[in-house]
Amino acid sequence: MTTHPTSDQAEQSTARHGPDDTPTGADDARADGAAVAALIRRLTESFGERSVLTDEAQRRTYECDGLAAYSVVPAVVVLTTNAEQVREVVATCHELGVPFVARGSGTGLSGGALPVADGALIVLSQMRDILHVDPLAQRAVVQPGVINLDVTAAAKPHGYYYAPDPSSQQICSIGGNVAENSGGAHCLKYGFTTNHVLAVDMIAPDGQPSTLGTVAPDSPGYDLLGTVVGSEGTLGVVTEVTVRLTRLPEKVTTLLAGFRSTDDAGTATSAIIGAGVVPAAIEMMDQLAIEAAEEAVQCGYPQGARAVLVIELDGPAPEVDAQLDEVLRHCEEAGAFEVRQAQDDTERALIWRGRKSAFAAVGRISPDYIVQDGVIPRTALSEVLHRIDELADEAGIRVANVFHAGDGNLHPLVLFDAGQDGETERAEEVSGSILRLCLEHGGSITGEHGVGADKAPYMAEMFGPDDLDTMQLLRCAFDPRHLSNPGKVFPTPRLCGERPGRRQGAHPLQEAGLAEVF
Amino acid sequence: MATAASVGSALDELATAAGGAAVEAGEGDAVAGVRPRYVATPGSTDEAAAVLRVAAARGLQVVVRGRGTALHWGVPPRGVDLVVGTERLDQVVEHVAGDLVCVVDAGTTIDALNAEAGRHGQQLALDQPVPGSSVAGAMATTRSGPRRLLYGTPRDLVLGITMVRPDGVVAKAGGKVVKNVAGYDIAKLLGGAYGTLGLVTRLVVRLHPLPPESRWMRSTLPLPEAASAALALTGSQLAPSAVEVRREAGADEADVLVLLEGTQRGVAARSDAAAGLLGQEAQVADVATADLARIDAEPADVVVKVAVPLTGVTAVLAAARDVEQGQQVRCRVQGSGGSGVLMAVLSGESVADVAAAVERLRAAATGGSAVVLQAPDDVRAHVDSWGPVGGLDLMRRVKDEFDPDHRFAPGRFVGGI
Amino acid sequence: MVTQHNPPLETNDDAFAPAPFQTSDELDRMLGDCVHCGFCLPTCPTYSLWGEEMDSPRGRIHLVEQAARSGQLPESTVGHLDACLGCMACVTACPSGVKYDQIIERARAEVETTHQRPRGQRALREAIFALFPYPRRLRVMRGPLAVYQRSGLQRLLRRSGLLERLPNTLQTMEGVAPTIRSRTSLPERVPAQGTRRAVVGMLTGCVQREFFPGVNDATARVLAAEGCDVVVPQSQGCCGALSVHSGRKAEAQRFARRLLDSFADAGVEWVVVNSAGCGSSMKEYAELLADDPRYAEAAAGFAAKVRDITELLVELGPVATRHALPVTVAYHDACHLAHAQGVRTPPRDLLNAIPELTVMEIGEGGMCCGSAGVYNLLNPRPARQLGDRKAEHVAATGADLLVTANPGCLLQISSALGRAGTSMSTAHTVEVLDASIAGHPSTSLTDR
Repeated sequence: MTTHPTSDQAEQSTARHGPDDTPTGADDARADGAAVAALIRRLTESFGERSVLTDEAQRRTYECDGLAAYSVVPAVVVLTTNAEQVREVVATCHELGVPFVARGSGTGLSGGALPVADGALIVLSQMRDILHVDPLAQRAVVQPGVINLDVTAAAKPHGYYYAPDPSSQQICSIGGNVAENSGGAHCLKYGFTTNHVLAVDMIAPDGQPSTLGTVAPDSPGYDLLGTVVGSEGTLGVVTEVTVRLTRLPEKVTTLLAGFRSTDDAGTATSAIIGAGVVPAAIEMMDQLAIEAAEEAVQCGYPQGARAVLVIELDGPAPEVDAQLDEVLRHCEEAGAFEVRQAQDDTERALIWRGRKSAFAAVGRISPDYIVQDGVIPRTALSEVLHRIDELADEAGIRVANVFHAGDGNLHPLVLFDAGQDGETERAEEVSGSILRLCLEHGGSITGEHGVGADKAPYMAEMFGPDDLDTMQLLRCAFDPRHLSNPGKVFPTPRLCGERPGRRQGAHPLQEAGLAEVF
Repeated sequence: MATAASVGSALDELATAAGGAAVEAGEGDAVAGVRPRYVATPGSTDEAAAVLRVAAARGLQVVVRGRGTALHWGVPPRGVDLVVGTERLDQVVEHVAGDLVCVVDAGTTIDALNAEAGRHGQQLALDQPVPGSSVAGAMATTRSGPRRLLYGTPRDLVLGITMVRPDGVVAKAGGKVVKNVAGYDIAKLLGGAYGTLGLVTRLVVRLHPLPPESRWMRSTLPLPEAASAALALTGSQLAPSAVEVRREAGADEADVLVLLEGTQRGVAARSDAAAGLLGQEAQVADVATADLARIDAEPADVVVKVAVPLTGVTAVLAAARDVEQGQQVRCRVQGSGGSGVLMAVLSGESVADVAAAVERLRAAATGGSAVVLQAPDDVRAHVDSWGPVGGLDLMRRVKDEFDPDHRFAPGRFVGGI
Repeated sequence: MVTQHNPPLETNDDAFAPAPFQTSDELDRMLGDCVHCGFCLPTCPTYSLWGEEMDSPRGRIHLVEQAARSGQLPESTVGHLDACLGCMACVTACPSGVKYDQIIERARAEVETTHQRPRGQRALREAIFALFPYPRRLRVMRGPLAVYQRSGLQRLLRRSGLLERLPNTLQTMEGVAPTIRSRTSLPERVPAQGTRRAVVGMLTGCVQREFFPGVNDATARVLAAEGCDVVVPQSQGCCGALSVHSGRKAEAQRFARRLLDSFADAGVEWVVVNSAGCGSSMKEYAELLADDPRYAEAAAGFAAKVRDITELLVELGPVATRHALPVTVAYHDACHLAHAQGVRTPPRDLLNAIPELTVMEIGEGGMCCGSAGVYNLLNPRPARQLGDRKAEHVAATGADLLVTANPGCLLQISSALGRAGTSMSTAHTVEVLDASIAGHPSTSLTDR
């Protein structure tokens, strides 16, 4: 969940805790002050003072990413400009036993780039060169700090674009997208970051560089690339990314349909998908979300709508035309009282602006809010939405809903006022209940924002101990000392070096109270 | 590794674990020519876990078998005591049509799954280079066919797995929803791993709607033009589902085939446009996708999977022609020109010539790879089946974590893993 | 010629007493509006140059928040606040409606009262603020500058490389100084041509009046041609924009009060401004003087009448005939027009309505050119980088003429174009309209 705090809330520098009160932040990798001092000395010698930030006010500006509810001031911030520098930082950290966290644009919504207090924050936002665009081969090679939308901007003159489009695409970095396996409104048809990354250059947590994947598909060996994408920076730091470029569609048609209820909008969604149409996107917003977006960007959504669907069709013109008829029919049959079709790029942009600004816009109708991210099977949509309403009513809290209806990825926005006694707690309770609701329906605790620092405690509700232990085998292969983004994703780290399945009784460290088992 | 003295009791234990389904191996159970001692065919994940715990306790070397259609792919194992077959894990467990998601047991054949999905107008959009594959087998060996251009490979279609680790622990990863970024994507790790990290017992796969209309178009063109036509089609806005290139051995020309799927109206209009890119000879082709997908190699043939950047198809076609002229081999090439994944089928009298031809193809695959899927033992002995692989050190470390004793399919994978 | 003697205004004196950074409930609330989404980052000129959090709007808000909470204002924080161009592109981009413009203004005011700058910096600031807001003092500069340019000394100096060794700020001043043309002065009242449709007051500005008198003349002519009586109070001085944007609030308030006095009896329906920076600060007079019981009401009333010249012309609709101007223009959005005032469409609409004129959009259009009031004098290096970057995009349009609505932008971009060896004529939007209405050939704009 993503809690946007008021200023006094942000004061708390410790993380807010999940259901079992597991502390987040690094507790498995601790560096002593001398190691950090040595790191700072060596890096300053190498890169100069301007790239190694030790000034407290400066370091503090990096204390959180897009999830401001958690903040930890890193011991040192290192601004890197090339892969060799990243290698040097990581290798030095490894040598000195100092944990490190990589950060792109700092827009993540799960605290994935939350620093470690006695560790280094490696900032990649200055590594923002697009190194190569090859439209014929449908590839581009970029540095990790390159902004998502800039890849599209570079490819567009050639008739191509970069398909994954998170709502923050104008600022989020490709490196961050790789870490989080970012999706976006159009992943219903085009897939996620993992489907669009062909290769990465990565510095493993021991400082060894390697190239995973090739510019060609199906590179032989274990699909380490597939596991690194979405590993939230826990397996190393990516320094270069080869992405797939997608041909711009011949035709794009964007519709805005107003409904009298979310049920009707859900019915339309199911009917469209059921008819075999795969739209590029189907997004739903409920009344509260519409209200917020309207206030923020005056997007002119249909008056009186209790729900709107933004539906985008793209592809060869004759297919889009044929699908359009079908979509219009299903919307009308489901009770849409107004369906608007964007006539040009400006109108299309306006329809999307309402949707894409929705998260931040909610700040205009509520002093505080939590951005939740959960997934349910599409067929459970109506039931889950009603249950969310009930949960909200019971707690006396408002919940606005914005989501990718096509793939069941919900983004409930839990609204509250931290100034009111007990509202924060009630909001967090509702937010947590929504995640459990997703799990009850066979869904997931995160569709695109990642686990990060925020949802690590919920991992144990989605996965069993053996499932988590198996994931940690991978972690141990890459990062046995847990130096790379420690404390994220997993509620409790595995003690690497153990032989799986051979553990008998309590581990000595566990007995000594130094480590917990799930 | 297992000692002769323990044979009787090992089989008993395996049989008990597998619900009675464990036998001594027969002639037909050989894995790339290496004969195992036992074959166990568990009927559930629990039974599979029990079998693997026995194998772990006894230190048995294990090879996992789907439907056995591609056991001859990959390097022969250094040794194998136990084959775990998944043919009894053959149920379509759950198909929620509204979610376009299906849960299947690992040994379920793609055909069986598609029979079920087809009743709801849906499909697992995965072509079979070798017919009769199980879903998990296709995943373990990254099999794909013409329609990978639009739908991708098992990597893109598998949403979640249940697996049994080499130590017998059961674990799940991924989930039953299309969108999910919780935790590491262990399903991707096991995809293409040739069973070296464990046994997959159940999968959740993503389905696609069956298109109302589909049409293949074909044109026969001289080699360089064929590659250019494939590239032009792939870069067009026609959104083809497949762009295939097929060059028969000895030919100076190749067929370029394009598959268009969609609505009747749409496909008709797009075919006309595609014909424009295919040239004057373009015509509707009466071919079945399944036939185009099949590799059709003789046991004595060498099959090389060549993956290249899209712009590298020309070089592969040229290299195939070159090896026929330079070495005494015949080299047929077919595959997805649109995605840069081609199958080269080589045959020749001289092992050295064939081996040289493989190297020549590999050299042509700049920026990509050339993996020997199938080859007679004598050829295998002369070539590096996998070729150079990036990140091998990390791969070995992953193997050490999952299978510290290196009992699963030892030696079959990259770098001797 | 009417010479108005402005009474001297006190500037920061030397008796500096450090005080803690003062916050207020209102500032706290404004800081709390930021949800840390980062949408402002790509629009920020300094973030685009350096890619550092503390030189982004989000980072600066964070720094101000730290200062507000601790009462401390570290040296590093002052540096990052100073580095902000105040272009307000982030305000346009913010989905949460964070009032960064007000946050930075208040923070700067606190910097000025709580922080003692090094002596050199202080002297430079004092020099700038003792010069630019005073048309009379600027006028004194005209003579030496004109002589310098005409004498050939300029070319000699530029060629000699001696310039490169001058301090950055002097280089910048030298580089952006416009070619001095002979100056005219507008009468108190310019009558409407034809039927009178409105009575409008006109701000003549400081830099505009002294260095671009042609723009003021053109503004008056166009307004008159469109049926407006133009009132030009001769007592008017600086509007206070430079001061308010640099945290010199008291000084700004004094300028504002005096301008209100100048226009108090003018009897105008609108107050027209042709300089983007001035317009944006005049539209905010209500906030600037909210706590002044004597002026608050007048300020609000005045602010409501303020219009950019292009806004008013579009609101009124054209009556004068536009003659063809076969010319391709690149239109540059001045930050204080596009971001601070939200005026993007009117200038384009006016230009597009001129027959045979083609408007080209400039790449990275929303990005500041680096001029930003007196920013290029205080922070010459980043200003120069931004200028070069803007010039590259401007040159890429291949246009014959660069058009914008702010004197600072014109000076900054022409100077950057010059460095890159590109020569492109420049004009204010209203000069283009003037030429079209008067039926002058396009060479009157491109060949001057």
